[in-house]
Amino acid sequence: MNKTLKLGLAAALAVSVLANCTKKEAVAPAGGEPSTTAAATNSTKNAELKIGISQEFENLNPLIMSMSASSYMYRMVGRTLVSLDADGKWFTQLAKSIPSLDNGSAKIVEVGGKKKIIATWDLLDNAKWNDGTPITCADFAFALKVAAAPTVSVGEKETFTQVEKIEADAANPKKCTFTYEKAKWDFYALAQFYPLPKHLEEPVFNKYGKEKEGYEKNSNYTKNPTMKGLYNGPYAITEVKLGDHVTFEPNTDFYGPQPKIQKIIVKLIPNTGTMEANLRSGTIDMIGTLGLSLDEALAFDKKVKAENLPYEVTFTPSITYEHIDLNLDNPILKDLKVRKALITGLNREDLVKALFEGKQEAAIHNLSPKDPWFTRDPKEVTLYPYSKREAGKLLDEAGWKMGSDGYRMKDGKKLSLVFMTTAGNKTRELVQVYLQDQYKQLGIEIVTKNEPARVFFGETTRKRKYGAMAMFAWVSSPENSPRSTFHSSSIPNEKNGWSGQNFMNWSNKDNDKLMEELDVEFDAKKRLDLIHKITKHYTDDVPVLPLYYRSDVSVVPKNLKNYRPTGHQFAETNDVEKWDLGGSTLN
Amino acid sequence: MEMTEEMTIPQVSDETRRKHEQALPMWKIVLTQFAEHKMAVVGAIIIVLFMAIALSAPLIEAVTGLDPDAQNVFNRYQPPFSRAIAGQDVRETTVEKFIHDKPEVSQALETALISQGLVSSQAPADALFELTAKPVPEALKILEQVGTAEAASLKKAFQAFESYHIFGTDELGRDVFIRLIYGTRISMSVGVLVAIVSALVGLLIGAVAGFYGGAVDTLLMRVTDALISLPLLPVMIVIAAIDMQKLPALKALVSTQNESIFKMVLILCLFSWMTVARLVRGSILSLREREFILASKTLGATDFTIIFRHMFPNVIAPMLVSITLGVGESILFEAALSFLGLGIQPPTPSWGNMLFNAQELIYQAPFLAILPGVMILLTVISFNYLGDGLQDAVDPKAIRR
Amino acid sequence: MTTYILRRLIQTLVVIAILSYVCFYLMTLMPGDPVDMMISSNPKITAADVVRLRELYGLDQPSYVRYGHWMGDILKGELGYSRTYRVPVQDLLGPRLVSTFILSMVALGFSILISVPLGVFSALRPGSKVDYVINFFSFAGISIPSFWLGIVCIIFFAVWIPLFPAGGTQTVGGPDLGFFANLLDRSKYLILPVLSLSLQQIGRFVRFTRSAMLESLRNDFIRTAKAKGLPRQIIIWRHAFRNALIPLITILALSISSIFSGAIITETVFAYQGVGKLTYDSIIGNDFNVAMVSFIISVAMVLVMNLVADLLYGVADPRISYS
Repeated sequence: MNKTLKLGLAAALAVSVLANCTKKEAVAPAGGEPSTTAAATNSTKNAELKIGISQEFENLNPLIMSMSASSYMYRMVGRTLVSLDADGKWFTQLAKSIPSLDNGSAKIVEVGGKKKIIATWDLLDNAKWNDGTPITCADFAFALKVAAAPTVSVGEKETFTQVEKIEADAANPKKCTFTYEKAKWDFYALAQFYPLPKHLEEPVFNKYGKEKEGYEKNSNYTKNPTMKGLYNGPYAITEVKLGDHVTFEPNTDFYGPQPKIQKIIVKLIPNTGTMEANLRSGTIDMIGTLGLSLDEALAFDKKVKAENLPYEVTFTPSITYEHIDLNLDNPILKDLKVRKALITGLNREDLVKALFEGKQEAAIHNLSPKDPWFTRDPKEVTLYPYSKREAGKLLDEAGWKMGSDGYRMKDGKKLSLVFMTTAGNKTRELVQVYLQDQYKQLGIEIVTKNEPARVFFGETTRKRKYGAMAMFAWVSSPENSPRSTFHSSSIPNEKNGWSGQNFMNWSNKDNDKLMEELDVEFDAKKRLDLIHKITKHYTDDVPVLPLYYRSDVSVVPKNLKNYRPTGHQFAETNDVEKWDLGGSTLN
Repeated sequence: MEMTEEMTIPQVSDETRRKHEQALPMWKIVLTQFAEHKMAVVGAIIIVLFMAIALSAPLIEAVTGLDPDAQNVFNRYQPPFSRAIAGQDVRETTVEKFIHDKPEVSQALETALISQGLVSSQAPADALFELTAKPVPEALKILEQVGTAEAASLKKAFQAFESYHIFGTDELGRDVFIRLIYGTRISMSVGVLVAIVSALVGLLIGAVAGFYGGAVDTLLMRVTDALISLPLLPVMIVIAAIDMQKLPALKALVSTQNESIFKMVLILCLFSWMTVARLVRGSILSLREREFILASKTLGATDFTIIFRHMFPNVIAPMLVSITLGVGESILFEAALSFLGLGIQPPTPSWGNMLFNAQELIYQAPFLAILPGVMILLTVISFNYLGDGLQDAVDPKAIRR
Repeated sequence: MTTYILRRLIQTLVVIAILSYVCFYLMTLMPGDPVDMMISSNPKITAADVVRLRELYGLDQPSYVRYGHWMGDILKGELGYSRTYRVPVQDLLGPRLVSTFILSMVALGFSILISVPLGVFSALRPGSKVDYVINFFSFAGISIPSFWLGIVCIIFFAVWIPLFPAGGTQTVGGPDLGFFANLLDRSKYLILPVLSLSLQQIGRFVRFTRSAMLESLRNDFIRTAKAKGLPRQIIIWRHAFRNALIPLITILALSISSIFSGAIITETVFAYQGVGKLTYDSIIGNDFNVAMVSFIISVAMVLVMNLVADLLYGVADPRISYS
């Protein structure tokens, strides 16, 4: 799984799942209308939940969608083979169990000198689409076919194409054999490999798949999003109004326990400033993790406490890593001493204390403390405690002497760096101006320039047009190989069509080798050793200035039970069926 | 008043008679006429006041010791009328600078501090920095105890750490008052600059169209009409969204730092010259056939002379009105674009982007949103009244004698 | 008459075509085309893929060729595909056009309803205290930044005194109570946006009505009518006001453009699902097809309204003929 570039405004994705694993036992399909179920098992409190979010969402075709808000919602209606829970553990959804080399359900084979993995995934017997059609291997194979089509623009294409082919057992259409292109240890991490209902989508694909954007335009998810059979999660979509709201109602064909809340509406309130007014006036009942900025959450938290409001403001540390990529093409930044001065002169502790009231943690490298791979052992990684004097000394050594105007000079040139980030993201703009002031005290002039996210990520970062510094975040899952951002083959350039996510132009041959080893290392202990070596290179070379790990914030009604924000890529809506407003003891 | 009194005197001296017979100069008529429009006078006063504030912003900064960029992140969102103490990083920087600027003074002070046992550190280099770590009142007390001239000079620096914020502080603990003043500077200069530039452009286009007539006129007026009828904001958003540095012609003019201001002025100028152009064209069309123009034509004056010497003085008055009204409009547009995040980029303060920053925390710190809005409202309404007053004053039809 | 309309229509179409090309060209200057987007989401893409995709999307062609293709598609009724929302543009635009149309027409109607009587009233008493106050408020209306007014409205009428919803287009998730209840529900959401959108127009209209009325009342025929002993109401409305209508219609037509500009801001502040907000979002998000189509619609709407205004002159003033 490669890291996801955040194109939206901000806010991390999150997922959640209860500590006890999901129930896979068959649940008797509830008969009749959802409303009768409601009357029978739930109190009226569970009638409806309106969730406010501030990020835009798109058409909910699981392959095409790429926005955080879309996948936040899609988790309520569509499930995958496996997913990651709030504790960072893998658990099964549509699959019966996770294949592994140990029990023989997966094995490494060699084809033409290349190591591959063949794994067997058994699908739940009662997993079906919401028109009653069983989910089979064919649905996964069809998704792969669509994703691989050159005319279809798939957000996470690599998630799909890492699987070479999918075959069903001749006797059992629910027993699938996946052949993976490479023998990677985390081959089972297929949390974004969504199946598509072949019986509904194949006719569309056959008819329009060859036109550019033909499938996207004509897919049932686009033309008729409330059609029965498109979804397999605890809920099904009953109304979509793009740019406004989506309505969800329980799916009686869901393989797991029936959800308690009888209707969920996710409402888009793009102006976060009015989010609170909407909450107070009852337009919405809660604010999801894609709702408030941290600043607003901090302010609202104080108010909740002061006025004793019936809400709880949650702050969940996430593994979303806010950082500044340094452009190593920049002649000033080519000097390691300057990079070290930049990181030593960066008071991250004060930053998180002052701007985030300590609710977000300062970062020391790309791995968050929530990641099992995390280490702050000075023997494993190089740490740069804040010291202005030390930073000044490093700059002096690099030849940048303090001038009379308060800025450092070398060979008649001012120490001036262009610092860019996404325009309109308040927190980033705040941090940017804060850092500008910090570096000014070190004698470094920071020139700020911001661009809308699409431009910033669509062109500026990839083509390294950001001058010296680019601030943004990586969203990923725990134990994720940093290869897509650290490996020298991921450096975007003219030749590879500017693809790849190593925006720093950081190239370290030793590190490349370590990362290649990491991918195919099946021993967890050895992996840990490798990742620490990689992180050591990362902290020694300083191609990136770590800033902080973001926290996910949400505001939930006090009576909402079993709500667990996850702090990673897979949102808390992963266990939406357990959410309970009624305080009933049925659970 | 004086005049009427004189009128009542039956015997008039030669001098007063001469005075009386002399026609009242135009500007005097205009001024008296203008003075009758009370709101316009109030508007003019407010504008002059704001301009004075804008021009003297550095002076105000020096007097009050407030810096629009000085952050104090541990004192964010302070309510109006509050005090704040500078953060430790700022204190350290000040001491560092003090040591750098006055090495002997600080050396003497360091030894004094250590010898009197007022600080715990033994290394002289750390002595002054230790003071910065203490609460400011305590540090001041220690410096008082030292009592030397050296201590007094550092004490002054320490006293400046405590600041008073009449309008409170913003999201980075910066003083809102001084930022509003600098915002006035930016917003006013954008407004005035745009109004003047667009008036000049309009003058040129209107004059050419009106003077030459025919196909030139038709073409220019079609363009003008098309631009007038455009929904301005979407067009401005498109233009604001492109990267100016991509246009080779502008690359030399634009540096990253002033890009957003430059872009703002350019965009606003592009779309605000049309009213002036129409106005000028109208006046010139009517002037074209007048005797004095015909006369100068027969005398062999060039087109340039005729337009600039003879026609412009006649259109200056209505143009002045249009410029005045234009300033208000430009300020509003600047604010609107900045509100959408497309205007002046932070950290440069303008009323528009201060509002943009404030709208998120409208419930926690409503002052932050209300103040810039009030400033905009006051300024724009003043310009509008001023324009109205000027119009009444220069419009011969409106002169009530 | 017909030839006049035809000529004006053709002129309007030409202007729209030119403007749409300019806009198209400007949009191509914005970085981040669809292929860029695909690349940034797919680290494994190869250089050959990039070339092939660029060809598929026609991005290797110069802008006027692409404009030609695009215009061809538009004329065929094929509005394209929204890159942000991943749906065909027509599905996105329809309901929003209706919403914006409702918002602007209600705002326009409301402004006229308020401002014309006020303007006439103050013109009849020039220099009086009432005139002074009305004048002041209309000046304030013109000068107030509408987004700020929106925010202040939310603070007052949605937070401090929760009379109206703070944003949105209609209540979601409620039971369908029938046509009138739904209408009532929607109008609740309209009040604050309409208020903040129309204040500026009201200010402008009051000032124009007042000065047009003053001008009109100065005419000789008014004196004649007075001398004839006609009732005051007839003089005011039938003679004076009818004459004042002509400049008013011009202003109304021109105000369509400013109402539309205002709608962008108002819709953004109140999260009202209309074309204005969509235009803004699509331009910022570089959602090419949506931006172009909504831009053209807004320009066309304004130009057509201008045309309508010109035709209305004929109704208001029998002296004007279009032969």
